[in-house]
Amino acid sequence: MAEGPASPGGGSHESGEQSPRSNIREQDRFLPIANISRIMKKALPANGKIAKDAKETVQECVSEFISFITSEASDKCQREKRKTINGDDLLWAMATLGFEEYIDPLKIYLSRYREMEGDTKGSAKGGDASAKKDIQSSSNAQLAHQGSFSQGVTYPNTQPQAQHMMVPMQGPE
Amino acid sequence: MRQAGAYSGLLCGGISGKMGPQALPLARIKKIMKKSGSGEDVKMISGEAPIIFAKACELFIQEITKRSWNITLKGKRRTLHKEDVASAVIATDIFDFLISLVSNSVTAVPSAAATIMEIQTDES
Repeated sequence: MAEGPASPGGGSHESGEQSPRSNIREQDRFLPIANISRIMKKALPANGKIAKDAKETVQECVSEFISFITSEASDKCQREKRKTINGDDLLWAMATLGFEEYIDPLKIYLSRYREMEGDTKGSAKGGDASAKKDIQSSSNAQLAHQGSFSQGVTYPNTQPQAQHMMVPMQGPE
Repeated sequence: MRQAGAYSGLLCGGISGKMGPQALPLARIKKIMKKSGSGEDVKMISGEAPIIFAKACELFIQEITKRSWNITLKGKRRTLHKEDVASAVIATDIFDFLISLVSNSVTAVPSAAATIMEIQTDES
């Protein structure tokens, strides 16, 4: 299957543009529009409105963003003969492609997440029931964490800290 | 066989508003990552990678929305439209990779728009 790693662009027998779009489920190609809409609204003033076509465009753009960064990170992995794309590869790719402003907030976010991972490992059993359904072992951990996020176990404590770190010069108030 | 997934729907959409920092479903992010680079390049993804993307996408959405909104305001409007997003993409260097995606909705570059519309006639 993967016999020719030297020519990643060579296997164009199923070029993405021509394959029937309708056969690829929307839910596989895009992030949920409700989530995107929520994040967009937060970026606007209260009186701002967003047309549906704008949400759909941003939805497409986000998928493109993920692919864009992933491809760059993936190339780096191939060059270095590694098989797994890790977090540092993504950060590197973002910095390379002009998104260096994201790096610091992401590092803070990640260290906060890792902290929480340590905190919740013992108490993650609440997520076990649903975790068993999932065969992919790698996503089990994520599932457990999502569970603990929504229960709000540690998040309320850690967020103000992080905000503090990101905006240290907000004035004396 | 492949459904939205127990956890992307239930835990993320279901408990809406109480999601903490994870505003976007990790499983979906992973799927989109796997589709990058025509599927052959991306073999394995560390558990951390979708988590980073969840936040990065949030930053990305915020940035593109704010830049688009500035264009909405310049036009003295109160509703952000697709064309504003397209103009923001064109005006921002780091969004260059999105130009082909949005340029079919821009009237400012009619020649480019025409070419792309020809290619994508199946979409309309």
